[in-house]
Amino acid sequence: MTTHAITLTVNGAKERLDVPSNLTLLQMLRDKLALTGTKNGCEAGECGACTVLLDGEPVNSCMMLAVEADGREVITVEGLAPDGGLSPLQEAFMAHNAVQCGFCTPGMLISATALLERNPEPTEGEIKEALVGNLCRCTGYVRIVDAVQAAASEGGA
Amino acid sequence: MANPASEPFTSEPVGKSVPRIDAYEKVTGSAVYADDMQFGPGLYYGRLVRSPHAHALIKSINVSTALDMPGVKAVVTGADVSNNIGLYLIDRPILARDRVRYVGEPVAGVVAASEEIAEDAAQLVTVEYEELPAVFDPEKGAQPEAPLLHPDLGKYEVANFIFPKPGTNISEHFKLRRGDVEAAWSRCTAIVEGTFRLPQIQHVPIEPHVAVGLWDLEASAARSGDVTLWTCSQSPFAQRDLMAQSLGIPHGNLRVVSPYVGGGFGGKAGISMEVCAVVMARAVKGHPVKLRMTREEEFIGTSVRQSLVAHTKIGCDAEGNLLAMETQYYFGGGAYNDYGVNIARAAGYSCTGPYLIPNVKGDSYCVYTNQPIGSAMRGFGMPEIHWGIEQIMDQLAAKIGMDPAEFRRRNCVKTDDTILTGMKIPPVDLVACIDKATEAINWGESEESSATHKVRGKGVAIMWKAPAMPPNPGSAAIVRFNEDATVNVSIGAQDLGQGAFTVMAQMAAQALGVPYEWVRVSVPVDTKYSPYEWQTVASRITWSTGNAVRAAALDARRQILEVVAGHWGEDPEDLDIKDGVVFSYRSEEEQPLQNMVVYGLPNEGFEGWSGGPIVGQGRFMPTYVTNLDFETGQGTRAVVHYTVGAQAVDLEIDTDTGEIDVRKIASVYDVGKAINPDLIMTQIEGGAVHGMSSAYEALYFDEKGQPLNPNMVDYRIATAMDVPGEIHGDFVETPLDDGPWGARGVGEHVMVQTAPAMANAIYDAVGIRFSDLPLSAEKIFLALQEKLAGS
Amino acid sequence: MFARPGLPTFDYVRPDTAGDAVGLLQEYGEAARLLMGGTDLFPGLRDGVFHPKVVVDVKDLPGMDDILFDRQTGLTVGAAVTMNALTSHPDVQVHYPLLAEAAGTVASYQIRNRATLGGNLCNASPCADTSPATLVLEAEFTLCGPDPSTGSGRVGLRSVPAGEFFVGPGQTVLRPGELMTAIRFPPPPPDAAGRYLKLGRCKSGDLALVGVAILGYPDGTLSGYEHRIGLGSVGPTPLRAVEAEDILASKLPGEDAFVLAAEKAMGAASPISDVRGSASYQKAMVRALTLRGLRDVWSKMKEGK
Repeated sequence: MTTHAITLTVNGAKERLDVPSNLTLLQMLRDKLALTGTKNGCEAGECGACTVLLDGEPVNSCMMLAVEADGREVITVEGLAPDGGLSPLQEAFMAHNAVQCGFCTPGMLISATALLERNPEPTEGEIKEALVGNLCRCTGYVRIVDAVQAAASEGGA
Repeated sequence: MANPASEPFTSEPVGKSVPRIDAYEKVTGSAVYADDMQFGPGLYYGRLVRSPHAHALIKSINVSTALDMPGVKAVVTGADVSNNIGLYLIDRPILARDRVRYVGEPVAGVVAASEEIAEDAAQLVTVEYEELPAVFDPEKGAQPEAPLLHPDLGKYEVANFIFPKPGTNISEHFKLRRGDVEAAWSRCTAIVEGTFRLPQIQHVPIEPHVAVGLWDLEASAARSGDVTLWTCSQSPFAQRDLMAQSLGIPHGNLRVVSPYVGGGFGGKAGISMEVCAVVMARAVKGHPVKLRMTREEEFIGTSVRQSLVAHTKIGCDAEGNLLAMETQYYFGGGAYNDYGVNIARAAGYSCTGPYLIPNVKGDSYCVYTNQPIGSAMRGFGMPEIHWGIEQIMDQLAAKIGMDPAEFRRRNCVKTDDTILTGMKIPPVDLVACIDKATEAINWGESEESSATHKVRGKGVAIMWKAPAMPPNPGSAAIVRFNEDATVNVSIGAQDLGQGAFTVMAQMAAQALGVPYEWVRVSVPVDTKYSPYEWQTVASRITWSTGNAVRAAALDARRQILEVVAGHWGEDPEDLDIKDGVVFSYRSEEEQPLQNMVVYGLPNEGFEGWSGGPIVGQGRFMPTYVTNLDFETGQGTRAVVHYTVGAQAVDLEIDTDTGEIDVRKIASVYDVGKAINPDLIMTQIEGGAVHGMSSAYEALYFDEKGQPLNPNMVDYRIATAMDVPGEIHGDFVETPLDDGPWGARGVGEHVMVQTAPAMANAIYDAVGIRFSDLPLSAEKIFLALQEKLAGS
Repeated sequence: MFARPGLPTFDYVRPDTAGDAVGLLQEYGEAARLLMGGTDLFPGLRDGVFHPKVVVDVKDLPGMDDILFDRQTGLTVGAAVTMNALTSHPDVQVHYPLLAEAAGTVASYQIRNRATLGGNLCNASPCADTSPATLVLEAEFTLCGPDPSTGSGRVGLRSVPAGEFFVGPGQTVLRPGELMTAIRFPPPPPDAAGRYLKLGRCKSGDLALVGVAILGYPDGTLSGYEHRIGLGSVGPTPLRAVEAEDILASKLPGEDAFVLAAEKAMGAASPISDVRGSASYQKAMVRALTLRGLRDVWSKMKEGK
């Protein structure tokens, strides 16, 4: 099986890796870069726990090959906050108790960050539609939607 | 984290909605879960070979081709593991030996240098089977002529409160006999009978099970070395105990470590795939072996909620007082029982639901079926039985022309009522819950639907649940101070997302007299360092571990006050601690806790020192639970306490498609004391959505027991778009006598009766009763068509 | 038996030209699979349905992610255009809102950032969300493959109408060595209105249990209007409900015509019962969705949209 030398930017840092053809982006992030904030929930593009930003757009990293990310920019949950701080969405999730077991949280934050970038004043319905691909079993989504609305009204992702 | 002195500062946090103690780690992605733990290049990976048949004899297993594959380190089969394992009934081989009993049962474990190689090698293990007739329906499976899944049932070790019937598929039979049911029927003005069915469903935690096992290389012939299991566990101590007994390892040599759990819901409470990781590690001593469930394996290879067939008959007098109930439960326990037998038992001693019924005849059976392992899922039998109970109560109320909410107010259990097992129920206020829930949806008002093709309906359902535990489940806690007076609380209980760590920190802070922000809870839970906790199940942690934490904090406080009182020459009774400072009411002297909680205080003129490191310990175990009579289910005290609640649902049905649109769920529980009110609300919200989602969920199998939808494409859980229009949560506080600050648990209760509340609302809307889960737009539409055709 | 963790082994190749891509497909035959968004390929790889030696990534071939609109010739969509790119493109929103709507119902936002129009069509699942839209918009698919008239190394293009492309569940007229490079939509009829209605098992994010695409426009028929109705997920391939369309061409628009047409549409459907839904429910939902869709399209047309 072939391997490929790829260079990509992850959370603002340039990385150079040799990846087998069949390595998914999710496996690369977790196993090669030890960025374990992005989670494996289903490997089928259904649960969204593996969501990352690819050139600013949320994708399921389990449904992409690492080699497809060559030359691209990836942001994971670890890259959402300015150094040492928390993004407004992260603050809002904490303030609104939008976190319970926390396993869906990284993916939710990524999807929500992208939503507020493209739609800074989403309606409740738009928030829910944007989060359809991020499953949560604990919260019932209520506080997650509240947190996104709060972050939006405070003017940022 | 920053200097505690400069942080925000919450005094007396019990009863306040303080922020979650674990939220920061979780929003930054730094919280460590089982699959995030790093083990270095020596880590091996495991994959299980699974049975393709629901019931079959194993004729032969050939592992040689698999073993030959480069990178494969070991292949383990049932021949290498002669022991059974089990919770209350030791019925399960760790790897199948002579036969398989469900599609997906592990038959062999392959260990290799990578997960990819382990998977490729697993596909090369060949097994020859001889198929046997299988059992899928629990009622049929309970009949004498049904194929037998466990011919050796009589030989299994069993807990003394579980009663299997050897020679049958019945692994537990609980009997409840109270009063005289036969005589009571004749006094009933109205009687209703019904059969209610529900399929298996699965917990679907977003984090699939992961387990890493490690057997140390043997240090010497005399010392066998330690065994470690890292896994997402609700019950590290229980898992340790089961493995110690099954594998013959001393408890002190066996260590279970559990980091954050990404959702449990009861599915990570017992033992399923974890012990496979340990026996696979035994074959490659010195190397940790990681076993991960794919989502597909998670659905059928860990555990599921049992299916149920319930036959119930109830009757009341002309005033609407319940007089009699006769009920039989046939739980589809799956191939092995884990918690299943205790669920059948708990269902049996709860079978009246939260109602006072003087004459009861109940038989609750757990039946082996050739299906995935039936086990604990949020509610532990209560959602299963309330599906039927709450609907049949509505049917009886309708028969005597009484409003369903009024019927419940009249008949529900109230403080000091003597319930079906003969015990008096500790104080609860279910009537207040009914009042608040129904008011929140304008009960009694017939309101317009949002469109002409939609019909609107309202329904109510109540519930009760006691923690289903053996009589002696213990909690212990340790409270340690650091030099800067921050506090480390060590417990064996887990935060699955429900907020246990947060409320433990609140309780410790309150009992000690320090700000909430000074308290940390030690993660991971580690049986080597954490004090004992029976299990994080049964919604018992706030109550039981809370008591232990409070006791440990009070112990530490007592130690501090003794040292400081001695230092001041005062009576400890005149001293108190507030916001981290000891002070005297009498002399108004003050002593900050910093440093003295580790170094003590110097005597006058530095002639010696007194005090030293402050370590508080505490424990809690209920002392009053009694056995129940095998023939009647009667006993002085069956359970510790009950939590009760009411849900009211306002929904609409789209008559063109059958789709259900839940407008509002009002959900109110009696929690005793809300240690953290907002966390109660978040449990209520999550529970309402989980309960609603569970009404649509089902695992499907074909006629040969093959699972048809073990994946997220065809087993769908509620998404953000499915959330009801509004969830109105509330609670009442009727203190629990032995709860910390009066608190008891609520984590499971909040999803128990959502499905029957919906079914009752659907009946109100369209006049059709759905006795079988799951609900679906299709079922409702087709039933509506049938009704229209018939009229 | 169960899907494997991760993906099986294969070699990943990214050809630079369509000619190279076709060459690889010819060389490897059944042992090659095309990759664009991967949202159908990956599950198939995990399930063992596909076990290719090479995975050929064609999404970066020239023109594959272009969206070009011209009032005279219509819309040309590169096969690798993602669902989100399609739904958010102003020309698609203005001139082909039905297509934007259909693409927007696929799965989740994350999936729509990867799933491609060409991939959805070539995978040819009976429940694909975009195929009914291609039927009613009378799209033509540009297929690129070995040029039979010359030796190897040259590729030829052929155009297949959407109505002739799908031949069975997962089966299309794509020949060995062929790949779809573009989807062309003729200019929409003036004053047309359209809708795509989808019923899933939950409010959003699901596959289509039933998909109905409807395009209506004023025309010189007896009724003054022409309708095209495409049904998805209720037969081995997507199909046009021709008898329903005929009713609407002859009867004046209104509830009576819509009800009759919806009945006929139901009659055209031949769904199978499976774990997702029964045939009788799916048929009834064809009627329900068609009726709703016709009412919506009619009110849009009246508004002059």
